Amino acid sequence: MEWIVYGFLFLGVVFNLIGNLGVLIFPDVYTRLQASSTCTTTSVISVFIAAMTAAGLSAVTGKIFVIALFFFVSSPVAAHIIARYAWNKEIIPWRRTGGTVKTEEEKNE
Amino acid sequence: MNVITKWRFVRILLTTGSLFIGWILFSGNFVPASLIIGLCFSFAVAVLTYGIFIDEKEADRKGLLPRFHILFFYLIYLLIKMYLASFKVLFNVVRGHINPRVVHFRTKLKSDLARVILTNSITLTPGTITLSIDDDHLVVHWLDSKTTHSKYAGLLIKGTMEKMLKRTFI
Amino acid sequence: MTLDLAFDLVVFLFLGSSVLSLVRVIMGPTSADRLIGLNIVAAQILAILVLVAVKEGLHVYLDVALVYDIFGFVGLLAITRFFGKKGDL
Repeated sequence: MEWIVYGFLFLGVVFNLIGNLGVLIFPDVYTRLQASSTCTTTSVISVFIAAMTAAGLSAVTGKIFVIALFFFVSSPVAAHIIARYAWNKEIIPWRRTGGTVKTEEEKNE
Repeated sequence: MNVITKWRFVRILLTTGSLFIGWILFSGNFVPASLIIGLCFSFAVAVLTYGIFIDEKEADRKGLLPRFHILFFYLIYLLIKMYLASFKVLFNVVRGHINPRVVHFRTKLKSDLARVILTNSITLTPGTITLSIDDDHLVVHWLDSKTTHSKYAGLLIKGTMEKMLKRTFI
Repeated sequence: MTLDLAFDLVVFLFLGSSVLSLVRVIMGPTSADRLIGLNIVAAQILAILVLVAVKEGLHVYLDVALVYDIFGFVGLLAITRFFGKKGDL
């Protein structure tokens, strides 16, 4: 039982660190948002599962489950709100240049 | 009593029920005083906001009530897929090789609730984020894009999720 | 015993990484970048609250965590509404 807790805590820490790294090194708003969405949902839900396993079957587990459920709903909505805000502000998404295949707009440039 | 008035009462009742379930989950105790106060306030809020919660035109029972056993399997599938996609994004971050694109596609789902669940699932699986939705037209930002062809991209992103949701909401 | 140590380690690691993500809040070029940083910090503080509640047995912290989550969400909505276009969202 303890090894499940250790495993999920380890997963949470790894996803958290990689998410933070992604937010620091990625080039524009949308890609940063992808990394932050990974970090917030997967790592926090891993930590919640670890906490639920450690607490055993009690009232605490039910309350953490309610928090996890609310987070499971509110986190993608928050990500969508930020993405829509950036999209409505007409921020242009970053694109990889110098590839072998060129699209129409790159040919026109 | 005509149909519109009847539908309005049903909407107020449904909104009250949903708010009351939320009250029980968040307060977490079953003292009679708490339950009575919660019922009163959820009814008061429901009278004010039933028009926003359920639209007047959405008079479709099957669009509002999902089939719960398929929804349960859908949630487990979503959780597993979330972990798998997270590992993909993790390798993308470590290798530093990304190819972000914006793709457009359409969905076949009819009811509003099913569309909301589909958009949230797309945002929840890392690697894709819904930027905007207009009726049945979705704009999705894709971190590691393999194609920009609309139909193929839609198949890759929402494939199994849309099939399961279609069976859930008929 | 070792479980307590692991929980402590994770709490301090999350605290440190939330400081790391505050860098993006300070140097983000646009306001959307700053919102992303704030969102991450809120999620990490939520995880810290739940971990401390389980480790110390303080059940009050769970209520604090729930209200913190709700208010973070409402605050995000208010900020985007304030800076965005009028009549949007």
